[in-house]
Amino acid sequence: MLFYSFFKSLVGKDVVVELKNDLSICGTLHSVDQYLNIKMTDISVTDPEKYPHMLSVKNCFIRGSVVRYVQLPADEVDTQLLQDAAHFYSEEKSLDTWP
Amino acid sequence: MFHFQSFDDDCTLEEEEGLVEEEDEIDQFNDDTFGAGAIDNDWQEEHARLAGLDERVRDEVDGAGDASSVDLSLSGSNAHSSAPPQPSSSSRLYPSIDERGGGDLAESLTHLILGSDPAIAGVGAASSDRSLRPLMLSGQTPQPSALAGQSSLLLSYQQQHQVMHRGPAPLSQDKTLMSIIKEVGLPNRPPALSREEGRDFSERVPPPRSSSPVIGSPPVRAVPIGTPPKQPMSHVHTQQNNHPSAIQHVRASMPLRYPPPFPERLSPNNLLSIASSPLSHSPFPAGVGPVLSQIQRAQLLNSQVGPFQRGPAPPLLQGGVGGFRPFFGQSGPRVGLHGPPLGHAPIRHNTTHLHPQHRRMLNQRMQNRGLGDHVGGRGVGDRKNRDPYSNLMTQREKEWVARIQMMQLQSTDPYLDDYYYQNYYEKMEKRQERDRDNRKEHTTKLITPQVAKLEHTYRPVQFAGSLGKLTVSSVNNPRKMIDAVVTTRSDDEEKREKQVWNKRRQILYTVEKMYSLLLEVQDFEKKFLQTPEHQRDALLEQHKTHMVQLYNSLREKEWDDRVSDKQCLMIMSVRKGKRLISRLLPFLPQPHAAAVVMGIARNLPALAKKDKHDQVLCWLVEPVTTVIQSMSSTSLTDLLQELQGSEGQLPLVLQNKFGVTLLYLILSEGERMQSSDPNCQLMDDNRWTELVFSVTRELLKVPSSALSSPLFTPPNLVSLFSRYVDRQRLELLQEKLQITSLTR
Repeated sequence: MLFYSFFKSLVGKDVVVELKNDLSICGTLHSVDQYLNIKMTDISVTDPEKYPHMLSVKNCFIRGSVVRYVQLPADEVDTQLLQDAAHFYSEEKSLDTWP
Repeated sequence: MFHFQSFDDDCTLEEEEGLVEEEDEIDQFNDDTFGAGAIDNDWQEEHARLAGLDERVRDEVDGAGDASSVDLSLSGSNAHSSAPPQPSSSSRLYPSIDERGGGDLAESLTHLILGSDPAIAGVGAASSDRSLRPLMLSGQTPQPSALAGQSSLLLSYQQQHQVMHRGPAPLSQDKTLMSIIKEVGLPNRPPALSREEGRDFSERVPPPRSSSPVIGSPPVRAVPIGTPPKQPMSHVHTQQNNHPSAIQHVRASMPLRYPPPFPERLSPNNLLSIASSPLSHSPFPAGVGPVLSQIQRAQLLNSQVGPFQRGPAPPLLQGGVGGFRPFFGQSGPRVGLHGPPLGHAPIRHNTTHLHPQHRRMLNQRMQNRGLGDHVGGRGVGDRKNRDPYSNLMTQREKEWVARIQMMQLQSTDPYLDDYYYQNYYEKMEKRQERDRDNRKEHTTKLITPQVAKLEHTYRPVQFAGSLGKLTVSSVNNPRKMIDAVVTTRSDDEEKREKQVWNKRRQILYTVEKMYSLLLEVQDFEKKFLQTPEHQRDALLEQHKTHMVQLYNSLREKEWDDRVSDKQCLMIMSVRKGKRLISRLLPFLPQPHAAAVVMGIARNLPALAKKDKHDQVLCWLVEPVTTVIQSMSSTSLTDLLQELQGSEGQLPLVLQNKFGVTLLYLILSEGERMQSSDPNCQLMDDNRWTELVFSVTRELLKVPSSALSSPLFTPPNLVSLFSRYVDRQRLELLQEKLQITSLTR
């Protein structure tokens, strides 16, 4: 749940998602779910000539398992808070809840 | 909680078989699959047969005012809504129909619909019935060829629907009637169908679902996850209970495969929020049937602005409900209600579940963008009215899947499960409050849905008389695949580990332990506010214990109150440790904090050396500043002395940014003390003066290159130096340190 919570706080921000098939998609993060599937709006591909089929695509849904990287705006992330959150989760106060 | 209720309906229909003994249930399936019941279901024959029913059905249209049959199909066809209100609603509605003469109404409506548009009248009328039949049939036996046929029929059906909405334009003011039209329009077909199919139900193959939703399906209400619901749910279809066959084809007719003429692509989030939101003022009486509630929803959506969703919306927790232009768009014809395309509307329109801060930010963003780029993509809405792959799943099924996923996200303690999100937005709020102090618009409390934590114990599914347990795994009770056993490593192996890393690991371990305590301490205030009165003492005690423990870890021996240098050094050698100390300092009581700062000053060269790689000592500046400002003059003098320490320490200190900053801080604090309080004890012994002298000597001696610039220069240094040094030296100092009396 940590990264789900993390991405939720980034909803509405601009991110670049690099997929495992080397496609890089830049857009606004619209929503995320517990599998870290990502929905983006207003997307643009960083190298349009290589992927002409993406020219007309405005919104997309990306399955979480195919994401390689998500590039985030640095000032939207509170690393200290992230560390604290990781701390909480590592302790796992109640181990049988959904992660 | 109407969505749960609707779930009822879904389960109920299958549940009817559960009423019978479970063995019979299996046997029935067996029979139908292998025994006499199994019949080769040739869809073409079926289609032809049913198409042949066309003629008979059209005759029966006029007689569709029959309240009971309408009732049947209504409750069957509109299974979304809450079950209990249905009978009352339907009974309330239909008397009104009856008043006007049910048959007459149906007749007039049909004429109205089909007659108004001559283009449709010819095509639509003929094909509409046919379209409905195979649509419903395909609900039962989805075969690829059926889809192809379906697409063209779908088109005509959609046309018919379009007419249905355009047609009764004069009636549009009367919304009740509109809804009735929609309702009545439907039941014309199913009763006929049911009557026909009822006869040869026994030959029917059961619905092609391979796994019954009963077993392993998520529970309804507070039933443990994974156990099949045993008792029958309360439901509406009392009239269908006695006749098992009725269930089957009601099931067939129930998920009527027609594209909803208005936005019903609502994620469960939507459903939940709209159903429960205070905005849901409905223009209709509460008990009105489900179709109305859909209109209600539609209007709500419309009023909240936003292009309505179309197509399956995956249940994503989003910044709002995505009015996402879907890809497998089940694009129904636009309802007249919504008027012309809503071009400029922002995509999100439901943000109730978000933190208020997040919501505000998103709205701001939307405003900034929405004005700018009016979406050229609005042209999307006009294309692709036909979609051969729509309606593979019913609305109910989609909701069911969505609900399974959303259920996993329910949390009993949002602060625990959603730590990062909650805290991030709280911080942001505080930050914004700091920036604009006078505004008072916020301080809205976040209302998060709290769900009572249910005890979930998994009881594996069992059939009486069967051998062993059925291995059914579902989303909520996955099958155990691996038997993992934890084995601890023996001591020998421990020794063989890299010696170098041991120490570091120990340090890190200590740091982590301290971190847990620190986090507890930080959350203390929040918790304190939340606990009731009588428990507060206990909490306070706990807090004190934490503090003591924290300080103990900094000390070397229990009885020695001094801060252990070795321990401190150890902790500070790790970057995380430095961070820890900087966060810890504000919480420590004054004498302890002062002791820590002394320790830091004493060991600054060593620390500086270790920090060469990380360069994060400067994190400490802020908390140290606070500590220094609350120090007494004697301790301040002591501190300065510590900083100078042994011979040759000061140059090293001066080389380091943090060192210089610290020095300046001390000097400036001393100056402040002197200037503000004339009889301060700083001048009582000569120590302070001597120390300052030596500092100035050093500053002048040290080459400029060896002097690093501090983080900031306190303004009163000039006045300090002017007390102690002559003019010439003062000027030199000023030049060297680049401080002038004009600086801030």
